[in-house]
Amino acid sequence: MVRRQRFFIISLCLAAVCSIAGLTLAFTERAHADVLSQTTQGTEAYCLSCHSNPDLKMTLPSGEELSLYISAEDLQHSAHSPLGIECEACHTDIKTYPHPVINYQTSRELSRSYYLACKKCHSTIYEKAQDSMHAQVAAENPNAPICTDCHGSHYIQPPDEPRAQISTTCSKCHTEIYDQYKNSVHGSELIGKNNPDVPVCTDCHGVHNIQDPRTTQFRIQTPELCANCHANAELMSKYGLPSDVYDIYKLSWHGVDVSVYKARWPTIWHDSAVCTDCHGIHDILKADDPASSVNPANLLATCQKCHPGVSANWTSAWTGHNKISQERTPLLYYIDVFYSSFIPVVLWAAGIYVLLQILRATVNRVKRSIK
Amino acid sequence: MRNTMETTATPGASIRTERVFERFTRKQRWEHWALFLSFTVLILTGLPQKYRTTTWSQQILATPERLYQIQTIHHIAAIVLIVLVIYHLINAIYRMSRRNLSADMFISWKDFRDAGQMITYLLFLRKDKPRYGKYSFEEKITYWFLFFGIGIMLLSGIILWFPEIITRVLPGSIIPAAMLTHSTEAIVAGIFVVIWHFYHVHFQRLNLSIFTGKMDEADMQNHHAMEYQRLTGEMPTQIEEESS
Repeated sequence: MVRRQRFFIISLCLAAVCSIAGLTLAFTERAHADVLSQTTQGTEAYCLSCHSNPDLKMTLPSGEELSLYISAEDLQHSAHSPLGIECEACHTDIKTYPHPVINYQTSRELSRSYYLACKKCHSTIYEKAQDSMHAQVAAENPNAPICTDCHGSHYIQPPDEPRAQISTTCSKCHTEIYDQYKNSVHGSELIGKNNPDVPVCTDCHGVHNIQDPRTTQFRIQTPELCANCHANAELMSKYGLPSDVYDIYKLSWHGVDVSVYKARWPTIWHDSAVCTDCHGIHDILKADDPASSVNPANLLATCQKCHPGVSANWTSAWTGHNKISQERTPLLYYIDVFYSSFIPVVLWAAGIYVLLQILRATVNRVKRSIK
Repeated sequence: MRNTMETTATPGASIRTERVFERFTRKQRWEHWALFLSFTVLILTGLPQKYRTTTWSQQILATPERLYQIQTIHHIAAIVLIVLVIYHLINAIYRMSRRNLSADMFISWKDFRDAGQMITYLLFLRKDKPRYGKYSFEEKITYWFLFFGIGIMLLSGIILWFPEIITRVLPGSIIPAAMLTHSTEAIVAGIFVVIWHFYHVHFQRLNLSIFTGKMDEADMQNHHAMEYQRLTGEMPTQIEEESS
């Protein structure tokens, strides 16, 4: 009994300290926290008086065993508890003991019901998530992720600390893609090295309103998506990469085609190559990596995905993401010189000759009319 | 070269004989029609493809199907032009083999002298214009500029039409080279026809001889004095001094 009292006092003190800390947070967060902490403060200690028992569990009608244990220590380090957002903030239906009867058949059903509590405070993010691919498939697939699947329920931590945590979270379901990603030029820099410059899943796919990446709309946005980083001169110079790849791509046969589809027919599927068609998606490698799809050794096979049966000569039709230069593309260079220096001289000469003819004819006509 | 004689009786005036010269054969006039139509269609269907990123082009090519349609029209016009070029070249080679090809269109030293004289005339440094043969150096420039221009357009166009087949034989770098050439040369040829050819046959004077096949005596004397002299054996009498 003495232990219990002491624990109660400690918990109260902790809650008080944490609610002061909460005041220092951002305004909106603070507003939520204030409202909630006023109404829910103290419930945590009360609940934990039972739920801190590691053996506490119940059996659901499905036969599934549901642990009811809450680690007081982990709770103290979660995002909510230190702000005074305690048990009753989410478990709104449980106000006293004995608890009302739980009617959920499975723990999944329970999660899918309880996670709606997130909406109370995080309504904007909740609404965003309702537009996502995950929410769309949730109608048929009860395992489609809900807030708590990615963020956790009781022991919520910042989702991006460390940054690689984001990819780890996605990998819980998207295992195969994660395996591709972790060996890619981007993933290998993130995992272990924690490079802040490389994209994690959410940088390309979005966070809460994740869309189906197999759609026409997603495909047409791909070049701009990659350009977010690859057209950033400052970022690219850090890695010795050119930042004009996107601009040169836009002038290419593929790029022009894609830009027209984007401007006019964004909902019509197009086959002109976007970045990922040649470079790969999750498995992108450096071009000089022998396994890269754009390595000269593999380039023909990559072209043949869309241009079946082309000969080995075909690959040199692709000038890379390079400007016309005398060393790299001499034929183009000399054609360009011919049309940008010699031909304008010829056309100007023709124009001036015609102007002189007009002048002389006009002078003659005036002279004749004066006579 | 035949020349037709026509008599015109004007009431109340003395009978005057006006000679009309045949300048182009029926076949040559058909050739010009084929060139004129295919060139126009090729330019009109090519421009929206060249400038696909612009709004006006996207209004014309409003659906992906339109793009395929306009490419088909472009290819049909190209076939007309290819047939014309083949006919023109075979005709020339055949005539050459019979030693029957007229040298009128070939460039000679006289053309350079004529050009020099014409430029000094235009700069008010002399009063008389050069006396031309059947084709003036201006007309020869038109012919040869388009001769090589069309050659470049057809070669680069065929490369772009069948890139997969072409690169089985030629290096791949020919494809971007053909794209750059086709796209640029088209504009060059278009500009040239507008400033050079249009001025000389529409604005300087309306010269419809490529359609009628005929040229009257005054025009022959004024613009093709040497040819007039060669055909008639007479010195031109009507040369307008300092005329346009």
